[in-house]
Amino acid sequence: MTEPVLAVEGATKSFPGVKALDGVDFVLRPGEIHALLGENGAGKSTLIKILTGVHLPDSGTVRLFGEPVRFRNARAAIQAGISAVHQERNLIPRMSVAENIMLEDLPERFGFVDYAAVNERALLWIERLGLAIRPDQPVRSLSVAQMQLVEIAKALVLEARILLMDEPTASITPHETEVLFGLLKQLRDQGAAIVFVSHKLEEVFELCDRVTVLRDGRNACNGLPIGELDRADVVRFMIGRDERTAKLGDKPVDAADVVLRLDGVATSLGHAGIDLELRRGEILGLYGLVGAGRSELAKALVGIGGVTAGTVTVAGQPAVVPDPTTALQRYRIGYVSEDRKGEGLILIHDVGRNIGITIWRRLSGWLGWLGEGRARAACRPFVEKLAIRTPSMGQKVGNLSGGNQQKVSVAKWLAADCDILIVDEPTVGIDIKTKTDLHELLWELASSGKAILLISSDMPEMVALADRILVMGGFRILGEVRNDHDYGRMSTAIMGHIHAAEAA
Amino acid sequence: MLKGIWGSDWFGLFVVALVAGTGLALFQPAFLSPFNLYVLLISFSLWALVAMAQMVIIAIGQMNLSVGAIGGLVAISFAGSMEVWGLPVPAAILLGLAIAALCGLLNGVMTHVTGISAFVITLATLSIFKGLNIGITEAQPFYGVPDVVKAFGNARFEGLPHMLIVPVVAIILIWLLFNRMVLGRQMLALGANRHAAELSGIRVGRVVVIAHVISALLAAMAGMLAVARLQLGQPTIGDDWLILSFAAPVIGGAVLAGGHISVIGTCLGVVIVTLINNALVLLGIDPFFVQLFLGGLILIAVGLNRWRERRLAPA
Repeated sequence: MTEPVLAVEGATKSFPGVKALDGVDFVLRPGEIHALLGENGAGKSTLIKILTGVHLPDSGTVRLFGEPVRFRNARAAIQAGISAVHQERNLIPRMSVAENIMLEDLPERFGFVDYAAVNERALLWIERLGLAIRPDQPVRSLSVAQMQLVEIAKALVLEARILLMDEPTASITPHETEVLFGLLKQLRDQGAAIVFVSHKLEEVFELCDRVTVLRDGRNACNGLPIGELDRADVVRFMIGRDERTAKLGDKPVDAADVVLRLDGVATSLGHAGIDLELRRGEILGLYGLVGAGRSELAKALVGIGGVTAGTVTVAGQPAVVPDPTTALQRYRIGYVSEDRKGEGLILIHDVGRNIGITIWRRLSGWLGWLGEGRARAACRPFVEKLAIRTPSMGQKVGNLSGGNQQKVSVAKWLAADCDILIVDEPTVGIDIKTKTDLHELLWELASSGKAILLISSDMPEMVALADRILVMGGFRILGEVRNDHDYGRMSTAIMGHIHAAEAA
Repeated sequence: MLKGIWGSDWFGLFVVALVAGTGLALFQPAFLSPFNLYVLLISFSLWALVAMAQMVIIAIGQMNLSVGAIGGLVAISFAGSMEVWGLPVPAAILLGLAIAALCGLLNGVMTHVTGISAFVITLATLSIFKGLNIGITEAQPFYGVPDVVKAFGNARFEGLPHMLIVPVVAIILIWLLFNRMVLGRQMLALGANRHAAELSGIRVGRVVVIAHVISALLAAMAGMLAVARLQLGQPTIGDDWLILSFAAPVIGGAVLAGGHISVIGTCLGVVIVTLINNALVLLGIDPFFVQLFLGGLILIAVGLNRWRERRLAPA
């Protein structure tokens, strides 16, 4: 057996009120891709932060090639040969792709940055990742997926012996994922040690050699070979019992009751000829790759980005939606953003203020008078309904786990009591249990007479929930698939529409 | 979870103010003399309004460099309209408030419509308002302030200046705004995350404009109080408000990026700054040290808050 490159023994880390890690062991060997799994709040992020020098463990040791190390800051970890792709974006939008990639180690000549060398060395990695961009392009001109890949190139260029990848595939397309996996396997075969964090178990089984699962800050398993496990085993390690499948009963859709209708709609954001019908009690899926224009269409519907042609009809009446306030108050349309931190939540405010924001006006008395007690009382049923785990209504949302944050951003729109709910990527980066909860919730909402437009890049989610699936690409509707909940048939039909559009 | 006083934004400040006050009283008995306390309260009255004017804009995540210029313009308009046109005092007060409302409207509408940062817009309007001020007064004060205004500036009740009533009412109203009214909640939401606030159905433009109008009205009250205190319409009123207007809210725990302010903290910030200035007079300290001390204090206060936040919040 080869000597481990990195070994964590009995790592413990506490924050006020929580023991994030409690005696965790983790062993990484050269030439392996090691999956680090766990639900949100299980301690993955804390472990990663210890390995990258963001936190110091309270007790326990980290050994690098057998030598105990303590990383006091991120630089120390990088210098020791550990490079990381974090979940958050760490790019400088106004700088070029090449500058971003080479930022840790800009080549110099006579004390000046040698741009020729910067671009040349960056280009190598751009090509290896199959990216069709120029090294001198500014990062802000890239799509989300391209930015993610630049982020990955930035970590690869250091040619580190240890590579940590925290959800690297969250925003890239299946094709890009394939290229990335090919590259990671190549690096592994050259002897690199790779830690791979992902919520997508399919990816883990395709790519990884061994698995370590954390649960409640402890090891649920420690470096088991992936060949000895199946999906159910891994899920059991993660949630401590068997996976519960979402209970979705019968849900009648009244085909005659169209609550939202678009005819030949074009928008200032670039959509053209969008036709769509959403009925009461229906979950209408909007599937497409990143950049297909789905979130943009949703935003145009709530008044961000104008409708320039065609007609929008809400509940049988022609509708003009100039801003989200009108969307909410007059047409009762709500939008649960995919960008939880940027657009969905106010992280520095508490749970009560985040959930209540859509109903303050409705709750308030004369002159907008509204006491904290009354506002919180109105939010409490939604905290309970969604089983949001928070010590109190006064807890800052930024201190909650990702899954609970997502529940808060959905709760806000439940409170608003909209008739039409546009839900954008509701389960990205969410643990299995919360995902099941949210699926049941969306189903229940539709059953109770709401109309739901579900935007998702998660094919299994789409096939499980949607009544019909519209396939979108290039800011147009490419086709419609009537969902019979058979995964194989549906995914073939959906990809058929996408490929037909690519070929045309 | 820590609750109560220790968890509140202003506890550390309260201790600092108490220690500073006690120290001053021990070293310099004159500190507790009725006249000195009266002078302190006069300064507090004016500065509390100035600090509130800035705090309201910090709450929405912006900055208002024109607080002093609005105060100055209102001050000379208030004094000048009474001297030159012979306006009765209530009418002059209304005129002053109306001018401030216009200034705030200009700041708010321009920032919202153009999307240019308030820092830049108010830098420009600062110059415009100050230019109007100098153009009207030709840098000469208006001396013809009616006796009733002068009397208000000097009057006291049991050692308390009558003037104090204005900031006390303003502070209570601003506290109610941020703690009991939807508008205040919306201002903070907008300050913390504009996109989220907008998508949640808050009329962002309206809230921004109203915040700027409130800020200007507070600056106007400070300007008119300054006239009553100085007993003349001095064109330089407001020139030295800028640093204090940021110092007090920041010492009081406001997040400069927006979304979090503390009314009580800001008031304690004003108290602390007032005490430092008073110490200068009472102890005959070189003004250089006071500047130094004030700067150091801002760093300590901000550092204490940061330390407390880290202890309260898991990473």
